[in-house]
Amino acid sequence: MTKKNNNISRRKFLGQSSCYAIGSTTLLSTLTNLKFMNAASIANSATLMGGDYKAMVCVLLSGGCDSHNMLIPREQNEHDLYSVTRTNLAIPRDQILELNGSNYGLHPSMSGAQSLYNQGKLSFINNIGTLIRPMTKEQVFQNFNDLPLGLFSHSDQVQQWQTSIPNDRSSVGWGGRIADLMSSMNTSADISMNVSLSGSNIFQTGTNSTEFAIDRNNGSVGIIGYNDFGDQYKATIDNMLDAHYQDVFQKTYVDVIKTSRDADVAFRSAIENGSTFFDVFSANDFSDAMHMIARTIAVRDQLGMTRQIFFVDFTGWDHHDEVLNAQTEMLGYLSDGLNEFNTAMERIGIEDCVTTFVSSEFGRTLTSNGNGSDHAWGGNVMVMGGPVNGGQMFGNYPVLELGSEYELGGPGGGGIMLPTTSVDEYFAELALWFGVAPSELQTIFPNIGSFYDVTSGTMPIGFLNT
Amino acid sequence: MKKQILTILSFALVFALNMSAQNYTDYLGAGHDEGITVYGSSEFDNTSASNTINGGGLDANYMDAARFLSQTTFGGDMDEIVRTNSMGKEAWMEEQFNLPATLTLDQIDPIWNTILENYADHFDVRLAEGILEICEFYPDTSFTQAQVDAYYEEYIQNVFGPYALHFNYAWWQTMMTAPDQLRHRVAYALSQTLVVSAQSDLGNHAEALAGYYDILVRNAFGNYRDILMEVTLSPAMGYYLSHLNNPRAIPEENIHPDENYAREIMQLFTIGLYMLNQDGSRIQDAQGFDIPTYDNNDIKELAKVFTGLGAAELDPRMDIWWTDEAYFGLDLYAMHKWEPLKMYEEWHEPGQKVVLKDLIIPAGQPGLRDIEMTVDYLFNHPNVGPFISHQLIQRLVKSNPSPEYISRVAGVFNDNGSGVRGDMRAVIEAIIMDEEARSCDGYLDIDNGKLKEPMLRHAQLSRIIPQIGRRDIYDVEITSYDCSGISYNQSYEDITEDIKYWHNGYSDYDLLRQNILMAPSVFNFYLPDHQPVGDLTQLGLVGPEFKIHDTGTAINYINLIFSSIVWEFNLYSYNGDIGIEYTMPDLDALTALANEDMEALVNYYDIVFTHGRMSDQTRENLRALISALIFANDPELSAKLLTFFVLISPDYTIDK
Repeated sequence: MTKKNNNISRRKFLGQSSCYAIGSTTLLSTLTNLKFMNAASIANSATLMGGDYKAMVCVLLSGGCDSHNMLIPREQNEHDLYSVTRTNLAIPRDQILELNGSNYGLHPSMSGAQSLYNQGKLSFINNIGTLIRPMTKEQVFQNFNDLPLGLFSHSDQVQQWQTSIPNDRSSVGWGGRIADLMSSMNTSADISMNVSLSGSNIFQTGTNSTEFAIDRNNGSVGIIGYNDFGDQYKATIDNMLDAHYQDVFQKTYVDVIKTSRDADVAFRSAIENGSTFFDVFSANDFSDAMHMIARTIAVRDQLGMTRQIFFVDFTGWDHHDEVLNAQTEMLGYLSDGLNEFNTAMERIGIEDCVTTFVSSEFGRTLTSNGNGSDHAWGGNVMVMGGPVNGGQMFGNYPVLELGSEYELGGPGGGGIMLPTTSVDEYFAELALWFGVAPSELQTIFPNIGSFYDVTSGTMPIGFLNT
Repeated sequence: MKKQILTILSFALVFALNMSAQNYTDYLGAGHDEGITVYGSSEFDNTSASNTINGGGLDANYMDAARFLSQTTFGGDMDEIVRTNSMGKEAWMEEQFNLPATLTLDQIDPIWNTILENYADHFDVRLAEGILEICEFYPDTSFTQAQVDAYYEEYIQNVFGPYALHFNYAWWQTMMTAPDQLRHRVAYALSQTLVVSAQSDLGNHAEALAGYYDILVRNAFGNYRDILMEVTLSPAMGYYLSHLNNPRAIPEENIHPDENYAREIMQLFTIGLYMLNQDGSRIQDAQGFDIPTYDNNDIKELAKVFTGLGAAELDPRMDIWWTDEAYFGLDLYAMHKWEPLKMYEEWHEPGQKVVLKDLIIPAGQPGLRDIEMTVDYLFNHPNVGPFISHQLIQRLVKSNPSPEYISRVAGVFNDNGSGVRGDMRAVIEAIIMDEEARSCDGYLDIDNGKLKEPMLRHAQLSRIIPQIGRRDIYDVEITSYDCSGISYNQSYEDITEDIKYWHNGYSDYDLLRQNILMAPSVFNFYLPDHQPVGDLTQLGLVGPEFKIHDTGTAINYINLIFSSIVWEFNLYSYNGDIGIEYTMPDLDALTALANEDMEALVNYYDIVFTHGRMSDQTRENLRALISALIFANDPELSAKLLTFFVLISPDYTIDK
């Protein structure tokens, strides 16, 4: 399997010039950097053979997006069942946006995503959720110990979508674990592989690494006057930051500032001279964040980056109330922001090296609580970018009928969907594409063996083009 | 203001004299750690002031009092430190318990009226500015009275509120000036467990936020059961966790009761996810597994309890033309923002509810009785004591309390000694007066400490360093609406009495990710068990506040302090609020002190800000700065920079 992955990387390197626009420098630096790799964590890694650039962008819709109103059955029969189940939350069939060759369609405000899908740049993975192992409806009610911890709870589920370990409460995320493994691929000593537009988060927290947080409008934030207020001022700051602290609270406080000081110097000089895309992006928080990611990717070579993971938390999806009105606005921002980001990536010719994927801690109940929906389980997500096998539906989209095979019911109205694809399969595929060797997959996703044979030589789901 | 400056000066003198003479045995820092050295000044003559000090280790006592006040207030200045030391901590607490509550809701109308009046009063200023701006390019411009009237109509429509900003003003004013500091510090702590947030439509309604916050203020020394009941019935919580206008099940329409509040009242407000021992550790079953407190079936049952609640009345402020009385379904905009919610029985789920195996709520009783039974049941669950005590300790004292500390406080929660459960006054007393909060033993233990919340850092420095208000004054005369008819002069005045500390907390949120009632979700700004990457995690310790100490906010804090201290722009209203002063640190007395002896200023800060634990290396670093050339010429800038570096040092930001 190691071999196959090498080939993938190598083919990508040789065949797709856009991925290494300044590839020779990057490759050389990467190879030079191999010497300094942490031997213990990476000794057997097949990961480092490519000199190509790859970036993952995680868009978290925190709060739990009602994704059954994002991707909606359009075929008449299924739409009828959907309408019966969702009652006053159902979107009329004639308002649903068509997707080429699909029985499913999009929320009316998502024309941006519609166009991406129809151009083959975006796909859906359906009825996905946290699972420890595959389960049937009967097993759910019989084997409580095999269920993810704290199902339906925001804090647990949003954590598990970031750790991919639903049987434990861990504060280390899979993006962080990848950075622990691979960060030596980047030549920058100062800037983390993980860049966050939303502050500290579990996804990008590793055992030995953490995120570099930047501002969606201003990029990195430097200490005021650090380079301008004279030697004594700078020295006083440096003395404070470079001192040794025995107290772990003090040390933790100072370490974060120190990291930021070092990263700021490198980041600021690169971004100030890089491309901007003000003509592409709209002005809202999500588009601003995607714009800053685009600007950062545009200066990847100056930053010494061959692998980057970005995180943006698009908050506010917990629509127990007003789900229809709120989603019309928010899904529009999401869809337009993705479309704008794709345009920016194409402009700088890097679209074949960037995969954007959407997460959300759970789907919501199909049934209505009046004018909103409650916490549930399986939901639908989007993936976008050149590496994506676009214009397709992956996973199973079960019929949205109460009492059906994957509908778990419950004493309330019911409408909780049992996931048929696990987050492990979703994230493992992204990790493989990113360059994690199959042999190392299990260290990042401890439960992956329950869903996928890591020696199979195929991708777990197949939404990424290898 | 005068009095405080005098106190600072006289104290510093005393302090400087006292430092080198004492051999301390029983206070923070003395003999308990190696990293801390007490410095004195030899610059002062042996004046008569020394004779006024006879007690041993007064400065050490002050450090101790300062540490106590950092746990119990939003910042104790030197006056309060001296006063606390002389009256004693028990008496100070007693005094605080007996002070009447300063409420925020009372302040909303006066604040809003002032904003409106200022806004209307300053129309001529804005008009003059507007005309002058146009005149720069079009010197022949003139306007008719009708145009000016139309502009006035537009202008006066432009002021929005009262919304979260005006609640911010009330909160910062209270924080800066109210005598009932302990009550507000506890209310602030509770607001991080019983979370509602202005990051929702609540942000549009100052009264909803203020009315909610006042529940926590009024009951800060009351009973936790009353807090739970009032919170449950508050319009703000009803809106935020969506049990407002939550109907009973309507099976034919597939409508089921909203589960949001049912879940969070258990998970976050009372019992948590797992069965707990009194010391906060998890009880395990025979196989060694944690025991969940509830399952999803309990939530679905409990959701039925929180149905039927709707508006009590119409909002008297709003012009509601479509109805004369409140009804089920009336929304946040139109409803009364702080009157407890009303039960609409026809929308309440009928029938028996069975929750958590042994809470059986019979069919056919009034809906509010269902809710009372539920609140009583949850309140009496054995988890509540350790669950709530742990979080209060984290907010007030330290991130990683020992199991014994939690157990002692939870014991008081369970029974205050007179058979009363949930007595908050007794719980707060137990937390603050506990040996683990007070004693020097274990003071430098590796698990002792917390990152001071960003808001507390800003609040404490604003209360400890005297503030002066600076307000723009305009001298405008308009004789005709054209370029020759405008006379415009702007100056400012400084205000030292009855300053308005109307701070725009939104800017703190933007920079530091924290502001009053503005958490990103019901899970607060951080979770109680958050572990930052690095040493703390490796030691198995938690540090909740580090969740919002990232590479962005950490730098923003430094820059905010620079702006507050060096650029003298500390607390300020939203920039549209014309006629409201902003505050500047009044560093005159401290500069005078620094001018005499910079070490004396450092020593003074070691009491008020770092409570006697300013480290050798921090002092060395400050000393190097002090000796640099710049200080010889500019004592004011020197004092500012010294203050800045103390406030960004880990000695200040980490509470021990």
